Amino acid sequence: MLPPLKPLPIKERISVLYVEKGNLDVLDGAFVVVDKNGVRTHIPIGGVACLMLEVGTRISHAAVRLAAQVGTLLVWIGEGGVRLYSAGQPGGARSDRLLYQAALALDDEARLKVVREMYRRRFGEEPPARRSVEQLRGIEGARVREMYKLLARQFGVEWRQRNYDVESWDAGDLPNRCLSAATSCLYGVTEAAVLAAGYAPAVGFIHTGKPLSFVYDVADIYKFETVVPLAFSIAAKRPSEPERDVRLQCRDIFRTSRLLERIIPDIENILAAGDRQPPKPHDEQVAPAIPNAEGIGDPGHRTG
Amino acid sequence: MLVVILENAPPRLRGRLAIWLLEVRAGVYVGEYGRKVREYIWAQVTEGIEDGNAVIIWRAPGQEAGFEFETLGHNRRVPVQMDGVKLVEFHAEAALPQGIRPDKAL
Repeated sequence: MLPPLKPLPIKERISVLYVEKGNLDVLDGAFVVVDKNGVRTHIPIGGVACLMLEVGTRISHAAVRLAAQVGTLLVWIGEGGVRLYSAGQPGGARSDRLLYQAALALDDEARLKVVREMYRRRFGEEPPARRSVEQLRGIEGARVREMYKLLARQFGVEWRQRNYDVESWDAGDLPNRCLSAATSCLYGVTEAAVLAAGYAPAVGFIHTGKPLSFVYDVADIYKFETVVPLAFSIAAKRPSEPERDVRLQCRDIFRTSRLLERIIPDIENILAAGDRQPPKPHDEQVAPAIPNAEGIGDPGHRTG
Repeated sequence: MLVVILENAPPRLRGRLAIWLLEVRAGVYVGEYGRKVREYIWAQVTEGIEDGNAVIIWRAPGQEAGFEFETLGHNRRVPVQMDGVKLVEFHAEAALPQGIRPDKAL
């Protein structure tokens, strides 16, 4: 008999794969896409961090189960590559990490330290001293707007402002379309990493109030080094299929910037800047009756 | 670089390997993973190969040949050590010693 399936570490995987159309199913234990002519394509699902399913796909129960077993995040995306829904890699597997993250987010002093560390990594310099989280956010917002303007000028793209509304893109707003496709790609990979590390995507430090607040916090660190310049450079060429070009080049830039190797250690270092110890279980708490199976994956991956 | 070649393997093992590796020809799988993952994949082959046979090859810059390989199950090609170098013997089918699994011959 075959040994049980276990997730591989995120750093060993390719970042993201888009499936445009077809039926996703399991045949002989392998993850396959079957097109309307019956042609099968195997997807090495265990070696992918995040699988993006576009509007032309259908997926079976067995396929979702397999994705969950190997710890691969499934993201359903709609028009323009914008995400709709995700599943397949449930978070919240590690209470010690969730409590640690929540303790940092609840403590004003620790939270400020974490936010300052994020700022430091994002802009490559020390944030100004004696600023509140609120003030740092203000400085950050202004810098980000400047960076958009600067990049737009550098690539010769007409730029008004960042617009997140998929419904209100006009024909001329190619840069926003490219940016949204590129950031949703980055968010998918980042969410997979946050879950694999055992943290909650919703508990943010700079961002709040969204299911993916922490994912936005983490992704912002890499955004201006990776996907934003890429989106502007693609917009400048006015391609016929901008979203497709964006996602192909996103994968390249994730590989060359070694994103998947960096992201989990970076998350740990950012949280460590909060200067709090991860909580120990209480003496009276009951340890698991059946010990968790040994895995080779990341701490947040479920092995049972 | 990691290559696994399966012969006469049950379909569930072939499907299982396709979860991490790309089947580029019937029974020939290729991927790029580190040591831990390689050992995990090889454990799957060991458990699931039944009466078939398999070989795994991976890049090993420390080795003189630059690669390393390991075999499993009955095959007419048997790895041998010759003067400290790992080579492969080819046996006429009749000449294979009875009851000895070629993977244990090394």
